[in-house]
Amino acid sequence: MTRSIIKIKTTLLDHQIAKLSAIAIGLSLIESVLPSPMPGVKPGIANIITLYAMYRFNFKIAMWVGILRVFATSLILGQFLSPTFMLSLTGSVLSLLTLYFAIKLPSKFFSPIGLSVLSSFAHIGGQLFLVRIWLIPHASIYYLIPIYSAAALLFGFINGWITYRLLKHHNSI
Amino acid sequence: MKLRTKSFLGDSLIVLISLIFIVFAFKTFWHFETGSVVQVNFQGKTYGNFSLFQDKKISLIGKEGESIIEIKEGRARFALAPCKNQYCVQQGWIHLTGQMLICIPNEVSIEILGKTKAYDSLNY
Repeated sequence: MTRSIIKIKTTLLDHQIAKLSAIAIGLSLIESVLPSPMPGVKPGIANIITLYAMYRFNFKIAMWVGILRVFATSLILGQFLSPTFMLSLTGSVLSLLTLYFAIKLPSKFFSPIGLSVLSSFAHIGGQLFLVRIWLIPHASIYYLIPIYSAAALLFGFINGWITYRLLKHHNSI
Repeated sequence: MKLRTKSFLGDSLIVLISLIFIVFAFKTFWHFETGSVVQVNFQGKTYGNFSLFQDKKISLIGKEGESIIEIKEGRARFALAPCKNQYCVQQGWIHLTGQMLICIPNEVSIEILGKTKAYDSLNY
């Protein structure tokens, strides 16, 4: 019996996506063991990689990295298709969508810092919307909007700043 | 995407708008007002609404025994509960709209009402 070998042809682009996704997944896993003051308040350090990928390469790679990260992390943590996964996916899709439009802003005035803040607001906005219509269909979650938006600004700013420094270090900005 | 002159004008604008939004969100959603009326619920029905500005002691005899609700200087509390745990008594005074004290064994609960009904997780 001859052994059949299935070989998938990979391009350089695939390798690049895989490398970046691996870092993003690693960061997500590190973050998942860190204690959080309240559910949903997380630094979201994996988004640094998404943003970095978008500036360094293009939006398509960033999208792959962002979505693959959500799927892979949820499979590793055993949260695939759970509410946590759905929230994570909604947040990522919305922040990617925001980035898709935000990257068209003149880069003379908008650095990764601003884009990071925008995407983190989109992230938490989408998640709060999903929680409101699906998980807790009650107006009481509006109490949490101030806390979540403050966290979005703080972590969005920090992540953006780290991305900015990384890009500067690699001379891609 | 290499640029010699880099300005953070757009970023500053985004951060500024975010800050304004956050301040606005805190003011809108964390708006606590002092209540004026306390609603007493007893055995699944509204027992009555009482003004918080008239000092009063309400005694209710339930299945477990006597519960005493005390209203004093714009606040309300459980002064006495017949149960073992005394959770309602230990929570002390309440005075903000939407605040609630519940005694499950004796089926008594009190809630502070104001002009507008505050959100609470119990409605859900």
